[in-house]
Amino acid sequence: MSNWPNSDDNLFSSSLASYLDRKILILLRDGREFLGTFRSFDQYANIVLEGTLERIMVGNLFCDIPLGLYIIRGENVMLIGERESDEKELPPHMTCVSVAEIRKAQKEELKGSTTRKMDFLDFD
Amino acid sequence: QLFFSYFKDLVGREVTVELKNDLAIRGTLHSVDQYLNIKLENTRVVDEDKYPHMRSVRNCFIRGSVVRYVQLPPDGVDIELLHDATRREARGG
Repeated sequence: MSNWPNSDDNLFSSSLASYLDRKILILLRDGREFLGTFRSFDQYANIVLEGTLERIMVGNLFCDIPLGLYIIRGENVMLIGERESDEKELPPHMTCVSVAEIRKAQKEELKGSTTRKMDFLDFD
Repeated sequence: QLFFSYFKDLVGREVTVELKNDLAIRGTLHSVDQYLNIKLENTRVVDEDKYPHMRSVRNCFIRGSVVRYVQLPPDGVDIELLHDATRREARGG
């Protein structure tokens, strides 16, 4: 039926083939989140994602950045999730903002966490 | 190969996979492969409010290299069997 190489060609195969052409979510090791349509993969879990959106969430704000067709190198992939219906898609209680605003919020958050890390130095 | 066989026997059980980024996901073990990549079904993130990303995800594939722990039901392990298999593997290696 399929040309995709599987080690066990049975129903319980731990293969990404079952997610092909579906809407998926990918979490990367650096914490980034990508949504899109899963088009291709290989034994290293390199991924081809069509209609990619990077979803950035900071506090109660979020922003989706359209990125087009992406190839993601497998070593960065942490998790691939199969997305269900779109209704639960938009994060609840969260406001959609522009790219500029979310970048500002990211910078604020980064500044906040670095200042907290330096607290032990007891500067005045 | 030993843990690959071990996980294959656990297919269908409910497990909690804790990733290296501290994210913990509970689900039914659907399948595993030679790299110990894991596919889970009926997934629910432990502490869902802290990680809103996966609300609409019910099945997922987890790359083996990012797993820190796989938490099993206490009766999920036949300790004697595992012990014997390990001794055999150690002798052969």
